[in-house]
Amino acid sequence: MKLLRDLGRICWSDKSSLFGGLVLLVYIFLAIFGSSIARLTSTENPAAAFLPPGRGHILGTDFYGRPILPQLILGTRPIMEVAVLSGIMVVFIGVVVGLASGYKGGSVDYLVMRFVDVILTIPGLPLIIVISAVVHSANPFVLAGILSVTGWAGLARAVRSQALSLATVDFVEAARIQGLPLRNMISKQLLPNVGPYVAINFLLAINGAIYALVGLFLLGVAPVSGTNWGTMINLAMSQGALYSSSSIYYLFAPMAMIVLLHMAFIFFSRALDRLFNPRLRVA
Amino acid sequence: MISYLARRLLVALLTIFVVVTISFFMVRLMPGNAESYLENQLIQQGGLSSAQIQERVNALLGIEPKAPLWKQYFQYLRDIVHGNLGHSMINPSTSVLHVVGNALPWTLFSVGVALLISFGLGVVGGTIMAAFADSFVGRFLTLVVSFLTAIPNYLIAIVLLYLIADRYHLLPSQGAYSVDTSPGFNLPFVGSVLSHSVLPIASYVITAWGGWALSMKGCVVNTLGADYVRAAESWGLRRRRVTQSYLGRNSMLPMVTSLALSLGFMVGGSVFIETYFSYPGMGFYLIQAVNSRDYSTMMGCFLVITVSVVVANLAVDLFYPLVDPRIVSPIGRKQSETDIDVGSGVVVGPGPVSATSGAAR
Repeated sequence: MKLLRDLGRICWSDKSSLFGGLVLLVYIFLAIFGSSIARLTSTENPAAAFLPPGRGHILGTDFYGRPILPQLILGTRPIMEVAVLSGIMVVFIGVVVGLASGYKGGSVDYLVMRFVDVILTIPGLPLIIVISAVVHSANPFVLAGILSVTGWAGLARAVRSQALSLATVDFVEAARIQGLPLRNMISKQLLPNVGPYVAINFLLAINGAIYALVGLFLLGVAPVSGTNWGTMINLAMSQGALYSSSSIYYLFAPMAMIVLLHMAFIFFSRALDRLFNPRLRVA
Repeated sequence: MISYLARRLLVALLTIFVVVTISFFMVRLMPGNAESYLENQLIQQGGLSSAQIQERVNALLGIEPKAPLWKQYFQYLRDIVHGNLGHSMINPSTSVLHVVGNALPWTLFSVGVALLISFGLGVVGGTIMAAFADSFVGRFLTLVVSFLTAIPNYLIAIVLLYLIADRYHLLPSQGAYSVDTSPGFNLPFVGSVLSHSVLPIASYVITAWGGWALSMKGCVVNTLGADYVRAAESWGLRRRRVTQSYLGRNSMLPMVTSLALSLGFMVGGSVFIETYFSYPGMGFYLIQAVNSRDYSTMMGCFLVITVSVVVANLAVDLFYPLVDPRIVSPIGRKQSETDIDVGSGVVVGPGPVSATSGAAR
């Protein structure tokens, strides 16, 4: 509770974090309730294609004459769903591997860390593209798994070195001498200290997943299904949006959605950073 | 020194081995795999008996159906070691190595130049941001940089295409050089190559330099409060000497570490940028192969992309002891190692923390 109050205070004093937090809330709202706000008109109306913004279609229409705004709103869920799933996977694997490796130490630690080195060296995006080209699935869980395939390694390494340095800290030693159970060690002594990394990396992982996921849809590597921002841009590009200014809204509206979301994540992660790292609050 | 080098070399070789293994099992064992796809394609073309189809598929994929899996695996390893990446499935007459050999220089050129430019710009920008943190310039730069890091590189590429290439026809947007020029070391060709590379390189730089600037700012701010900097100032050393030798060199350290990591990320971005600008590099052929389901070319491109990133990483690792002698000396090793560990991959530490790092790095 105190943490939430602190977060509110930080956001209030730093308006850009407040902006980020509010925008994130709007996106989350759209992702959950989007389908009850917006309806996708299935009727095609070529006469109304590429209309500029006006009554009944605030952001204009696409090449089938369907309004763009509802598509934008409905496109929120598929992206957010997969990205958040991927963030959870990245954080879970990263924390478990990092803590276990740091806690075990010795040869296990050595082997795990060399494996992490290997994963860190493989360029993530080409691997993601190659896997999704072979697997070719539209299932959100499968997509999230593919997107997380390399992302956990950086976090695992950071958590592990944090766990290593924690292992020698006085209060952890005191807890160990008292013979506190492992459950207490992890939840009360270790986790609060890796919490900041975890929270911020959760946001970063979601951000990275959005980037890669939209990219997959853009390139048409992930199967095109339903409405989402990546497919919208892909369709706009293939309908020659670059060569005519009439479809400019269809091309740039989803791009604006993506950029705004990324900015919100960056600004909000800064607030989290301050929350967990009191030294930054002074500066 | 020796053990440091040995460890780096081990990781590099291990990475290549892992990637080769992944690519072997992926094409053979994954659901919806290449084999069945190829079979269906040949069946649709018609005119071949099923035995012939099987034979053709096996020949294309390099599969010997009777041999056990481990034997095929070793055969595959041997082929890779000899540089035999197989043949394209779409045009069986061209070898994958040929495709890759033509594509690799373009990617190395554009990504390399872009990396150097964005690194340089980032170091300068970050230092300015740290030095004038409270002034208007500093705030404005920070705002611009935050905005730029929020834009994925493919969106920058689309915007550049839209504005500069199609609206105003200022620069060429397709291919690596004009077909009117003859490849070779002559002025028209070199000029054409340069003008064709401007937009792709700009797309990399615009998105990447902000990340560098932010992490450089963080590094400088961190070093600013260090005891040895304060000591140097109190000795009355000249401002310039403090900035260059005490601040600059020490702030650069974590930046060099993240150079290696960001290389992989930039090469990943080449997939989008080369596709949009039809720039005939590795990323362009990778996506082409994905879209035409040419699995052998796809895996070949992926392998070579990975190997070049690994080699570049190794080069940075070998170069690193020159910048930071602590890393190879046994006494300082422990300390500097944990420093680097904490630094990479965490938002508060140094490293190119752009909107797009994380999963896709």
